[in-house]
Amino acid sequence: MSALNMERGVKAMMEQIDAPIASYFNSCVHCGLCADACLFYTETGDPKYTPIHKVEPLRRVWKQEYTFWGKLMSTLGLSRRVTDADLDAWQELVYDSCTMCGRCSAVCPVGNDIAYMVRKVREGFAVSGHATEGLAEAAIRTVNIGSPMGIKAETLKKMVASEAKASGIEIELDKPGVEYLLMLSSAEIMQFHEFIGAVAKVMDHAGATWTISTEAFEATNTGIQIGSSDIARQLVQRVVDVAEKLGVKTVISPECGHAYIAIRWDGPNLIGRPYGFQVKHIVEVLDEFRAQGRLHFDDSKEDMKLTFHDPCQMVRRGGVVEQPRRLLDLCADNFTEMPDSGVWNWCCGGGGGVSTNERAEPLRLKVFSRKKSQLDSIGVKAMVTTCSNCRNMLEEGLEEYGMDMEVLSLTELLAEHLDDSKASKGAEA
Amino acid sequence: MSKRPTVAEHLARQGVSRRAFLKFCAATASMMALPPGMAPAIAEALGQRRRPAVIWLSFQECTGCTESLTRSHSPTIESLIFDVISLDYHHTLQAAAGDAAEHHRERVQEEFAGEYLLIVDGSIPIADGGVYSTIAGMTNLQMLEESAKGAAAIVAVGSCAAFGGIPKANPNPTGAVSVADIIKDKPIINVSGCPPIPVVITGVLAHYLTFGTIPELDKLGRPTAFYGETIHDRCYRRPFYDQGKFAKSFDDAGARNGWCLYELGCKGPTTYNACATTKWNEGTSWPVESGHGCLGCSEPDFWDAGSFYKAVSMPISDLGKLGLAAAAAGAVAGVAVGLHNRHVKAGAKAAHKPLTADELEGDKS
Repeated sequence: MSALNMERGVKAMMEQIDAPIASYFNSCVHCGLCADACLFYTETGDPKYTPIHKVEPLRRVWKQEYTFWGKLMSTLGLSRRVTDADLDAWQELVYDSCTMCGRCSAVCPVGNDIAYMVRKVREGFAVSGHATEGLAEAAIRTVNIGSPMGIKAETLKKMVASEAKASGIEIELDKPGVEYLLMLSSAEIMQFHEFIGAVAKVMDHAGATWTISTEAFEATNTGIQIGSSDIARQLVQRVVDVAEKLGVKTVISPECGHAYIAIRWDGPNLIGRPYGFQVKHIVEVLDEFRAQGRLHFDDSKEDMKLTFHDPCQMVRRGGVVEQPRRLLDLCADNFTEMPDSGVWNWCCGGGGGVSTNERAEPLRLKVFSRKKSQLDSIGVKAMVTTCSNCRNMLEEGLEEYGMDMEVLSLTELLAEHLDDSKASKGAEA
Repeated sequence: MSKRPTVAEHLARQGVSRRAFLKFCAATASMMALPPGMAPAIAEALGQRRRPAVIWLSFQECTGCTESLTRSHSPTIESLIFDVISLDYHHTLQAAAGDAAEHHRERVQEEFAGEYLLIVDGSIPIADGGVYSTIAGMTNLQMLEESAKGAAAIVAVGSCAAFGGIPKANPNPTGAVSVADIIKDKPIINVSGCPPIPVVITGVLAHYLTFGTIPELDKLGRPTAFYGETIHDRCYRRPFYDQGKFAKSFDDAGARNGWCLYELGCKGPTTYNACATTKWNEGTSWPVESGHGCLGCSEPDFWDAGSFYKAVSMPISDLGKLGLAAAAAGAVAGVAVGLHNRHVKAGAKAAHKPLTADELEGDKS
């Protein structure tokens, strides 16, 4: 019999209800602005996708366990406890139709962080056995094998070797004492492995020392997505242990949105102490190189008309808005902003674990219509982004809607236009 | 009496020039926020009308309203209005006394039934059968009910008639009530204020005489032309409020510089009246201009709305022992609930069993 049950789920939600959550439920004025901020509502028109409604099970637990009237009602048997059937019914709302993009949090007039609430309600779903199968499997693989896609260190080594060969730059694994430790998302090892070569090129060009660990290379954190602090903590700890063992100054979160917020914001809270190193997104590192004058570009600026897709976690949860634009300015001539760009950008539709969820695919592709209309209004040939999950989702969406457009990685685009003759070789060179 | 002269004839007989009359009409039009083109229309309407009979009843009052109306020097627009109407009964102003006066009132009520205008100032005491105020052996309640029957409309002048005023103030020993509390079947215009501004009284009368209808009223039955905006919104000291410049006492630098009196208890923000625009004493000044905050006299129960010197944002009365006990009990209950909730949460935390991949695996099978 499963050890995951409803009692554990309710207890987990009770444990998750903190002062912010209590005040959020108290302050909600039911204005419905969050609905218009959510692409699952705007693209379907179905009111069940109203963000605050998605956390209804959490609200009921809060009311029954922590408020006078709620307690009285449940004591008198006038209110129903949250049941397995309730969570089954809500699973689609909590996992399929929420990418935790945080757009609802950004518009809420009373300041309710609804994405944070969804993150909390998922804790109850995970321990009561109501997480989606795709996410559960990904979490199991991450814990047991080391990566949600089941990638092992051997595979990583092969891919790194091939990228080193292709770029002609040596990539040393598990090297202590270097400045940067690069993390990777599974997608960057399997589908978008050119990213590794591109980072090697940029690091070499800027004269920075770096490495990749074979013990902890996976940046994505399925614990955050499924909603389990226990698993998330375990995954963060792996990275922290390795980074501190190697003595790096900075851990680089790769082109992945939620990996960035997991290691940067959730991580120290999860392990209960500050890190002995810094965490930066690759775009932040690149922008620092730019500011330090360590990047030199050739004259072949990209003249294709392109735009930039802001990954939700980068802009709304991470505050990284200007960096990619400054970098694009250096290597692209014909850049156009999407409407609602920056902190108001619309999600690709696959964040927050939705991309691992097969059942959610039709819905995810349906709501891609929002991205389509954004793109249609500017008519570009390519879209640059800084999240490999977005990249995957965008490519699928474009294919679904028969749109002919390239999706590029900012790091790769940048690396292509570096002028090797002007490289500011560092200590190793 | 039905052969009364028209207003124009009457004025001519009184030696009031056509020009003076038109000036009055223009002033009335602008006061009532009517277009200037209305002045001749008012003049014509007023000029053609037979002077309507007006009965003025004074009940529990201080005569301040009448003082307000008559305090001005002749020939002002206020005194003109008395040439325009036929004031057939008014305790303070009539020459007749005793039975003669009462008979005249009864005769007018009979002769002009359904036509005369009834003006009331003062509240009506209804406790103990209304014995607290009687006139010629009649209680105010009886007299009001009798006079209201044949009235075309009633104008409740002053806050006492309009809302009960000072007689109604806590503990209201006489059971004072307003006109509208008693008369339900007649149009009633409340011209509140303690006292009301003279031109507001005359303006309302002029409107009624010109158009034959009652003016547009707010939810408290007051003409919106005069009571449509707050003192605060029309106050010349408003810019200081917007800049956060407040007098902290009546003789500090702020007070001398004419800063906002909000913190000294000015009720301007919650009071609807025309003082800030029409001013008093022929436009000489008004309370705020003389350095004192608005008392809110044109609002219901202004006398019981706490100290005149407490800012609008402060609670009306002291919390008192009960209030303090309630606040303390609330705080204790809050802390208790908080501690209990903390305990519940700690319990949930203690019962926490870390989620493992094996458990997720087990759940699938």
